[in-house]
Amino acid sequence: MEFFQKTLDPIIALAAIAVLDIFLFLTVGAWTVGGGETMMTGLAAKFVMGDAFNRIPFWKLAFPPDPYYWKIYISLGMVFGAFVGAMLSKEFYWRMPHRVTEWVMITIGGLLMGIGIRLAFVCNVSTFFGLTPEMNLGGYLAVSGILAGAWVGTWIYKKTLED
Amino acid sequence: MTPIAECVAAFIFGTTVGLLVQRSRYCNVAALRDAMLFKTYRNTKAMLVAMIIMTVGFTAFITIGAGKPMRFDVGLNTFIGLFLFGIGMVLAGACTVSTWVKAGEGNIGAWWALLFTFVGMFLFSLLWSFVYWPPAPETMTGNPNLAGLQLGFANAATLQSKTGIPAIAFGLIQALVLAAIYRAIVRRERRRADARAAVEPMESGACDAWADPTGGAAAQGALASAADSPGA
Repeated sequence: MEFFQKTLDPIIALAAIAVLDIFLFLTVGAWTVGGGETMMTGLAAKFVMGDAFNRIPFWKLAFPPDPYYWKIYISLGMVFGAFVGAMLSKEFYWRMPHRVTEWVMITIGGLLMGIGIRLAFVCNVSTFFGLTPEMNLGGYLAVSGILAGAWVGTWIYKKTLED
Repeated sequence: MTPIAECVAAFIFGTTVGLLVQRSRYCNVAALRDAMLFKTYRNTKAMLVAMIIMTVGFTAFITIGAGKPMRFDVGLNTFIGLFLFGIGMVLAGACTVSTWVKAGEGNIGAWWALLFTFVGMFLFSLLWSFVYWPPAPETMTGNPNLAGLQLGFANAATLQSKTGIPAIAFGLIQALVLAAIYRAIVRRERRRADARAAVEPMESGACDAWADPTGGAAAQGALASAADSPGA
């Protein structure tokens, strides 16, 4: 099947996703990832910590864990869809970063993404494909923040590549 | 919709997104990083097209009172949070979408990035439990709260109710601005292609970053070294 043999034009892919996101917006809400990830964090922490988990006010006041939170299933769907796509196009294989620098950058980057999402209440997907198309004031603040952050991150990335 | 139906709809949407992103190699990090570092715009243009379609679609339905817009107060935390996120996604080489997609392709680095995203969220939950900032959704009022560094809530629906002008009118203005940015990018690419053609014959099939005579060497090195990173 040609779909699994050639790289799809990202403009076509994103245009299709945009149309689907409009349907999602009408039924449950616009595409987002950070909320689902937070809920997964809460559910995982509750499982690991047991009763001690209930002593953390954040999970009672801001994000009570709920396995039926629909945003979780967007993320699970994405990993499943990517797995199917990779298998059918014969692009699935185990790979991992080789250099210590890469592991360090991924670790710091992951931590900053997690802290940033919870501080802002939004992720990059909500920023570009949720809040801003809804013309939410938060979308413009978030776009400004992510552009500034990406610029600083790019500067650090460039310096690391040069070393 | 019942919670189960919502979860099923979300899973079907997510699966389609995962498949399309995997097949197109779209990456949100690349949309920003490559534009800044390599002056290549393959992903940036795709992001802009999606934003244009969504802006028109969302605001059209908001005009008639349909759809479920996100509703929470925003403020200084929104800017700082995404600033930190922006640094993090470039360092990790992946955003919230590409971590899941790369994880589905068997990238251990992407699973590692996801694990530490969860760790970061948990650490923030501990910090929040001491400072109680930004305000929890239940305590948000929708109005400016300077003590809490909050600007309140505003979107196309509030614009429509305050001005009496249909939300789609504002949406079309935003879509035109995004289209103007897209056009400026295409023009810039054409100018670069013309300049390149004047210097040397174009190599057919080469992608923008690799064919770029000014940043090509840097781009090749960077892309090669980033090939195993989660978002590459």
